[in-house]
Amino acid sequence: MRKVLVLGVMVAGIALMLWAGWHNLRERKLAMQQARDRQVTLIPDKASAEQPEDEIPQMRGKKAPGFTLTTLEGKKVSLADYKGRPVLVNFWATWCGPCKVEMPWFEQFRKQYAGQGFEILGLTDDFDAGKDVISKVAGKTGVTYPILLTDGKVQKLYGGLEVLPMSFYVDRNGVIVEQTAGLGSKDMIEANIKRTIASGATQAGGM
Amino acid sequence: MRSLLLAAALCSAATFTVAQSGSIDGVPAKAKQYISFVGEPQAVPAGKKSTVDFTFKVSEGYHTNSHTPKSELLIPTNITLKPAQGVTASPAVYPAGTSYSFSFEPNEKLDVYTGTFTIKVPVVAAAGTHTLEGTLHYQACDNAACYPPKTLPVSIAVTAK
Repeated sequence: MRKVLVLGVMVAGIALMLWAGWHNLRERKLAMQQARDRQVTLIPDKASAEQPEDEIPQMRGKKAPGFTLTTLEGKKVSLADYKGRPVLVNFWATWCGPCKVEMPWFEQFRKQYAGQGFEILGLTDDFDAGKDVISKVAGKTGVTYPILLTDGKVQKLYGGLEVLPMSFYVDRNGVIVEQTAGLGSKDMIEANIKRTIASGATQAGGM
Repeated sequence: MRSLLLAAALCSAATFTVAQSGSIDGVPAKAKQYISFVGEPQAVPAGKKSTVDFTFKVSEGYHTNSHTPKSELLIPTNITLKPAQGVTASPAVYPAGTSYSFSFEPNEKLDVYTGTFTIKVPVVAAAGTHTLEGTLHYQACDNAACYPPKTLPVSIAVTAK
């Protein structure tokens, strides 16, 4: 009789714990869903929670890979042309909504920090879109900085680009100071630009 | 009594693990694909018009453009099937998308698939078992980023009787 009682208590206990575990999981999922529904803030410096940062190759602190690409006007542009200047290398695409939101901000900051040598290079990650379409979309965002057509190789050099927009803040020494994936807030972008300008400022002109 | 405590402790640990991992619904924690194919073998009447359903699940937190996005700049979801001996397939019928706007562009309405969606392919199949193979081409985004276009292989067994 005692054994049956012990067995009964065990079964009831296990059932209770399983229920508690399931209930806990369900509650957490509901809470996560509610939090996600409420989320309207822009993600500052990484992709969404579903895209863990460790999936994106980290290039902070590394030398920015060099490239030579062609602008929409057919002019050859190399990253090396901007040696000694802070540069924002921004990958975008015509089909990427979040990319087009931050481009006018970039344009504004480019003008604001031009006196400190700051420049932006917009690299298109479009495979199918023609030059005319890219030009039209870029024009609609109001940007006047160089828009470069990519060759498929530069994306690989910068980690494969599994997320857009993707930005690399390159200081005067050619080192990537910050790397962001996904749309950041305007304040965060400006903070990154300021940090990039400040980085290596003492060695400015020493490259 | 000791065995009772041990059993309870083991059970508690197992329950905690399941609760913390949050993987019982099969949603991939990280995936390069943002859509999974959930097609199951299907039976159709031999020699008669019928449809084969290709069902997909968009990963939680993501959306993909529908077959008819509202801008020509956006990449539509498209299924392409290889010719299969004994099966004549007609153009796929896509579901309508749902309206979606990014929080940062509330006035820009997009037409997207989220959750589960099914593409119906009209077929006439000869008696026997056939395999329909192809690819789904799509481009996904979440609430703050977009991901390069992807191609997802699909394969489904169709038995015509």
